[in-house]
Parts: sequence; structure tokens; C-alpha cells
Amino acid sequence: MTNQIDLAGRDVVSIWDFSRDELEFIFDSTAEVERGGSARALDGKLVALIFYEPSTRTYSSFEIAAKRLGSGTTGFTDPDQSSVAKGETLHDTIRMYEGYGADCIIMRHNLMGASRFAAEVATVPVVSGGDGSREHPTQAMVDLYTIRKTFGKIDGLHIGMLGDLRYGRTASSLSYALSNYDVEISMVAPDLLSARRETLRYLNAKGAKVRKYTNVKDVIGSLDVLYVTRIQKERIPDPTEYERVRGLYRVNLDLLKQGKKGLKVMHPLPRVDELASEIDGTDYASYFVQAAAGVPLRMALLRSVVGE
Amino acid sequence: MEEGKDKLLVRKIEKGTVIDHVPAWNSELVLRVLRLDGRGRRKADVSVAILENVSSRVLGRKDVIKVDGWRVDEAEADLVCLIFPSVTINYITSWNVSKYSPRVPDRISGRIRCPELSCISNASREPLTTSFRTLKEDRMLQCAYCDTLIDFDRIPDCVMA
Repeated sequence: MTNQIDLAGRDVVSIWDFSRDELEFIFDSTAEVERGGSARALDGKLVALIFYEPSTRTYSSFEIAAKRLGSGTTGFTDPDQSSVAKGETLHDTIRMYEGYGADCIIMRHNLMGASRFAAEVATVPVVSGGDGSREHPTQAMVDLYTIRKTFGKIDGLHIGMLGDLRYGRTASSLSYALSNYDVEISMVAPDLLSARRETLRYLNAKGAKVRKYTNVKDVIGSLDVLYVTRIQKERIPDPTEYERVRGLYRVNLDLLKQGKKGLKVMHPLPRVDELASEIDGTDYASYFVQAAAGVPLRMALLRSVVGE
Repeated sequence: MEEGKDKLLVRKIEKGTVIDHVPAWNSELVLRVLRLDGRGRRKADVSVAILENVSSRVLGRKDVIKVDGWRVDEAEADLVCLIFPSVTINYITSWNVSKYSPRVPDRISGRIRCPELSCISNASREPLTTSFRTLKEDRMLQCAYCDTLIDFDRIPDCVMA
């Protein structure tokens, strides 16, 4: 089934646009990259990385992925140091990089839907590295791949999502991706940070099994994966709200010991104080495995959308 | 449209548009959607008569709007009918009345602004036309850029001036 899939030229701006078969194709391809395949698949290509928001791991992993595939890279990580600071529109910036011969545009933007707009403007594929609090599709692919690699399957698992489900774009993207599978999704968040109604409506329309909780202790005993997210301080409109919810959900070994055998903790990183460092060296911790999957998955993805 | 004791409140018009069966006290919202309110266009040669809370066999009470000398744009008429399914729209030409059959558009481009301020469609300098999918069953629109949902009854707040 998956060998018939062709993602050449595809934009990657939302997980909504990807079917289960397409996701599985990307995961199979990632496993192949991890085994050492796909060297120099983008020889002679140019990838533009235009990041309007700070990023360490997403930017670096895309840059490393592109370079390992033999592609050249260009772009910016600090819009204050680019023509954006002079007031250039996203539209013009996209056109400019296309004019310079970019074969793919990888972008992060603070505004929701910016990557979808960029995809309308560009004739080459646009890959989102996150836009506003809406989506982060490649992080969701990394997360789902990590789950598949860890458990050998995705169907039948119970995934708990804890933390900022409103402003955190990774949790909503992961929940969209999970809705292609037969899983249970438990969303644990205070009301202030509970999932947007847009997210819940989508999951409901897809027939996903979703339950909401405010206390992680009510559900920890049946989870296979606890996916923890950082409170998005920079996106919460009112600073006093941030102070109210900060530190409300702190995951430590005492909590995890209430979980079932084999429970794994994931986190898209960076973490602040929601995940205790005492977990790092234990079997619970999957977040460094998850981070390491960022490069091979993005290699597999770029090879599929940009390669010949 | 004139029923019962309200019959002679407003005279017949030779050409224009009659928007009937507006739920009582909602004519202001309809005028906002048609951009005939204070924020929108004002045309020197157009008169608007508004009847509010008149008796109706169908609704009990209703509002009626007569736009004298101007044919309301069909896309805007569709939008009004989306928000208020009871509304009927009649176009008048040379005293003759023809009933308009509203369509439910799959997508609405322009006319409406996304209420999510962090949406790229609100970045004023980008050359972008707003676009919304119609989720008829849920009575909502969904922004094609940021996915934000707008309940049909909130559309009047989102109409561009």
C-alpha cells in the first residue's frame, strides 16, 4: 500500500492534509534513513529556512537534515536582522527566495495560518516548522514516529496529553495525527489551557476517542504515553494568567510510579519546570529518543517532498 | 409582506429588495451584513425602510427591511440567509416581485474578517483574501488559514466594513 505513495511537491502545513497511509510511508522512510539510507538525495538542491520566531531544535534539525541530504541552505533565524525588519511582507519574502532558486521553503511564523498562505504564494513545497499556536506538523510526525518505534505499534495505545493544550501547537498537531489511529486520547489541562474548540471539533468529526481531565492522577494508571508540554508563556495574552497556571502540572517520579508498567514520558522540548530532571535517566524518559528522531524524520520528509 | 394592522406602514416599491421574515429585532444585524449600517456603504439614492417587531403568521413577530432602489448583492443575500434561515428575499423590478432562492456556499471569500487576531489573514499588508469553509451541519464557518470557527450568529460581528 505505502509503496504507491508519492509526496513529491506536497506542502506540509497541516497534519490534516496527511492520511494514515501517508504518515506510515513517512515513518517507514524514516526507519530506512536511520538504517543509513538516502545519502545525498538532495544533491544540488537549495532549501530556504525562514524563521520569524526563535527556534533551536526545529531550525537545527531541518538544517542538519537538509545538509545531510546534500542540499544547500539559505535563510534567516532572526527577522530583526533581515529585510523583514524593513517591513517586507511574507508574500514578498517567499517570492524572493523562490526567485533565488529555493527548491523548498521551511518556515516558522508567529501568525496562525502563515504557512498555509505561504504555500498559496509559493510554487515550491512549503514545510511548516510551526505557525502561531495552530500547528507544528513535523513535530507531530516526530512524536508519532517515536511512539511507533518505542511500542512497535500505535493502535491500541492510550495517550495522555498534559499541560498547555490551548496555546501549545505540538499537542494539537499530535492529537490530529493520532486521530488516524485506533487510540484513546486523554487531555489533561486546567480550563484556562484546555484544547481549543477547533481541535475538539476536528477530533470529534474524525470519531476519535477523547476524554478530558483536569487532574493527571485520575488517568495516569491507564496511560501508555504521557505527553507533557510546556506552558506557552509567550502566547498567553495575560501575564497574570501565566503565573496562575505555571507549575500547576509538574511531572516527577512520584507521579510516574502510579502509572502502569512500560509507561513512557514524552516532551517536545524545551522544558521549563514541568518535567523533573530526576526522570532523565529512567526507563520512563522517551524525550531524548524523541528529539533524536527529529533529524532522520525530517530527512525522510524532505527527501519525499523535494527529491526527484 | 405587510400583514394585519401593519399593512400600510410602508408603501410598495418600484425596484429594490425586500428582506422579509427577519427574526424580530434583528434588522440591525442584517443591515450590518449588507453593509448598510453606519460602518458600511451609504448610497445617496437608496432609501431603507425598517419595520421592527411586526406581526407575522410564520414567526409570530418579525422585522422587514425594504431597500428602495437597490438590488442587494446575491452573495450578501446568501450570507443573510445563512445566519437567519427564516429570511426570504424578494427582488423587485418594475413593481414585479421575484423570490430569490438562497444558496449555501461551500466557501466564502472576502466579506468576512477572521476574529482571530493572530491569524495571517489579519496581517494588513499581506495581499490575501480571507476565505472560510462553510460547515453547514454545525452552523459554523471555519477560517481556511487558521481554522478558527465562527458560529453563524457571530458573522455580523465579522463582516468587513
